[in-house]
Amino acid sequence: MSRTLLAWIAGVVGTVAAAAIAASWMLVGGDRAPLLIGATTDGHHQFESACETCHAAPAFADAAEAEAALNQTCRDCHEDELRDADDSHPRSRFRDPRMAVYREALDARLCTACHVEHRPEITRPGAVTVAGDFCVACHFEGEQDVRAARPSHADLAFDTCASAGCHNYHDNRALYADFLVRHAGQPWLADAPVHGLSARHTTRERDLDNALGADEAIAPANSLADTAAVADWAGSAHAAAGVNCAGCHAPEAAEDATPDEVGTQWTRAPDTAVCTDCHAPQASTFVLGRHGMRRHPLVSAPRDPRRGLEALGLSALVPDAVSAMLADPARPERMTVSEARLPMRSDAAGRVLDCGTCHEAHAVDVERAAVQACASCHDDPHTRAYFGGPHHERWRAELAGDQAGGTGVSCATCHMPKVTHRGEVVTNHNQNATLRPGSKMIRSVCLDCHGLGFAIDALADDGLVTANFRGEPDTHVESIDWALRHAGPGTGF
Amino acid sequence: MPASDPPDAIDDPLTITEELVLLLLDDRAAFLPVPEHTLESVLTGAVLMDLAFAGRIDTDLESLIVTDRTPTGNPLLDRVLGAIADRPGVTDARHWVGLLSGDTAGIGDHVLGSLAVRGILAARPRHSPWAPPFTFHDHAARREIRQRIGDTILTDDIPEPRDVALISLADACNILADIFPRREFAARDDRVAQLRRMDLIGREVAGRIADLEREILQALQARLARFRRALLALSAVGVLAVLATLLSPPVPIPDRFGPSYPQLLWLEGTWQEWTGYLLLGLTGAGLLAGALKRVRPLARGSRHARWRVAHTLLGLACVAALFAHTGFRFGANVNAVLMSCYVAALVLGAAAGVGINGTQHLRRAGIAPGRWRQWPTRLHIAALCPLPALLAVHILVVYLY
Repeated sequence: MSRTLLAWIAGVVGTVAAAAIAASWMLVGGDRAPLLIGATTDGHHQFESACETCHAAPAFADAAEAEAALNQTCRDCHEDELRDADDSHPRSRFRDPRMAVYREALDARLCTACHVEHRPEITRPGAVTVAGDFCVACHFEGEQDVRAARPSHADLAFDTCASAGCHNYHDNRALYADFLVRHAGQPWLADAPVHGLSARHTTRERDLDNALGADEAIAPANSLADTAAVADWAGSAHAAAGVNCAGCHAPEAAEDATPDEVGTQWTRAPDTAVCTDCHAPQASTFVLGRHGMRRHPLVSAPRDPRRGLEALGLSALVPDAVSAMLADPARPERMTVSEARLPMRSDAAGRVLDCGTCHEAHAVDVERAAVQACASCHDDPHTRAYFGGPHHERWRAELAGDQAGGTGVSCATCHMPKVTHRGEVVTNHNQNATLRPGSKMIRSVCLDCHGLGFAIDALADDGLVTANFRGEPDTHVESIDWALRHAGPGTGF
Repeated sequence: MPASDPPDAIDDPLTITEELVLLLLDDRAAFLPVPEHTLESVLTGAVLMDLAFAGRIDTDLESLIVTDRTPTGNPLLDRVLGAIADRPGVTDARHWVGLLSGDTAGIGDHVLGSLAVRGILAARPRHSPWAPPFTFHDHAARREIRQRIGDTILTDDIPEPRDVALISLADACNILADIFPRREFAARDDRVAQLRRMDLIGREVAGRIADLEREILQALQARLARFRRALLALSAVGVLAVLATLLSPPVPIPDRFGPSYPQLLWLEGTWQEWTGYLLLGLTGAGLLAGALKRVRPLARGSRHARWRVAHTLLGLACVAALFAHTGFRFGANVNAVLMSCYVAALVLGAAAGVGINGTQHLRRAGIAPGRWRQWPTRLHIAALCPLPALLAVHILVVYLY
């Protein structure tokens, strides 16, 4: 056999084999990371190998079906958030037949009209993949011509609508005209600045009837020998609420179980599931944010290779042992610091993010979790500038007892603010709830202490945000001025 | 000149054409990697030289004329002689080289058959399309010719006119480095150039054979040079186009809302689909042309040249289509590998074209490419090998996700 023929045979066999392996990755199971066509956005990169989370259409669905399925998955995860934000451009508005002409310019019924994944070259802040002047699509002429309707906007270009601090496409809860007028003229800082819900949480009455002491800890003898752990627990909210060691280490044990009975069911390092049993609101928001989204229930599970083989009609031909080899690689259940895209401390690289990462296992110190825990991983200018800054000084004063509860500003005050859940004040563990765009933070956090004008200006000043608000804003957003100037009846602005 | 003995007479001396073919064959009796177009041209030139040595044609300052229509007894020479005699309107050797290269099909096959009759070659018993049709039965004649030519190159003795003719023809094919790979030959480029230029034939051969031979060689070289210049230019354009792909920053997407050509081309699904299939079609056609120019029955004579030109032009079209499809973006992961292989195949293909067609220029610049000139072609083919699988994956990913 000639070398040429051998080369041809090798080429054909190699081509078919390589294509078959790649097809197997796509249709049956296996690592699909090499097939990604571009970097995934910051919001989705943690589960980028779980393709079916977003690409929910069946294999080889037509383009319309695939697009519809894709957009449905967007809504499945983000619809609640948009509803809470009182979305200024809800999908329902664009389903109206009278909006057909606007849909021609930008089909706002589809999330993917503005947010396309795996396109790093055109991905802008907020995972937006249309040009920054996208407002021009609908507000350039006709009934929606903003320059005709609002004289103050007559000479404005469209590239600053969503970037100058005046408007957002979705969330304008702190930026709409009536709100601006109502909050005009507020001083930059309130006379008695305090975050109301934090104050309510700090000063809440606690039932200490069931409080436990260190000598009441029930655990196997070798665990009790760890006196530091026992002491941490005794000083914790868990002990104050009467939650003994078994509450976490042996949750299945009876309430009146003896130390021996507890010992038989003892788990040395409990899973975070024991935390979620009691802290459901916190757990449910934790999986919405960047720290815990790998455990979001809508992230697709690894594929079952048998199902893929069945769909291809190959299940009878492939032994179970071989199909097991085709399975998706195991996915990490939790985010690790080293996978973060923000600057992080090198000594935190291997850290895995779950409840215990911020809340020490026995002390469950919420004060540490509010500042030190953040700074033990995050290493960006904004974080570093916090320490010694005005917010930090107030936090130290509160911790020292020099000021009332809720007057200090920790990292968590802004990024994991207190919210109400069924009448109780709890911490929103979705750190993204008040981020990007920054104006999402105004109503839930900033306005407790600052005036709206100052808050808008401060958040529009990137330098001031980086410096963690040491100083005054260099930027002035004129939205309140314009709203006041044109607030009279029958006048637009 | 009287008619020679029939070609099946064992003792009949080899013609220049036969000696040239023996030089062109490797140990497996396969032709050395000489473009088919070049092969036909130099074989035509060799036939004309045989006719001149046989005293059947002559030349003056402006024309090639038949001086004696008596058949030589060699069917090939007589067919060419008849063709020249029947077309008195065509005058100079340059035109005859061009005409006969296109019209006289199968000179190589005829000569191979003749060598088989002489007992130098033997038909391969189980012929397959992958193997040469003949094998060497007697290596002596080939060894003798190589020895003779080698001695002529290595020494400064006055050469035989037939050897000068053979060396000139072999050099036109760029095969001397393949035949004589030893280092001492690489240092004799000046001697080869001197042999090409020398007017020894005029002194050694009576009549006007020297002029005729010079005309034939000049015609041959001019024809080949023209063709090579064209392909060299196209290949150079290809190299520059691909280098632009590598060195230019991606064409940016305008930061303005609304349709624009960059946005339509590189972001809009329908355009991406069409440019993708255009690129796929051009790639397939280019691969087909590249493969067909190597299939002997489909690429005889001028058809081989056409396949080469088609292959080169399709390569250039692929560069343009690649720009339309990607905007010089390499993408990520499997797309980046695909793009890298594709660009490598294009640049190596263009470099192979430059190397093969620009050998004479390289020599004039003092660079002796020798066997290295084949490497861009080999690497070009190697870079093409993963393309089918990568293209299949690329297309599958688009339609699955």
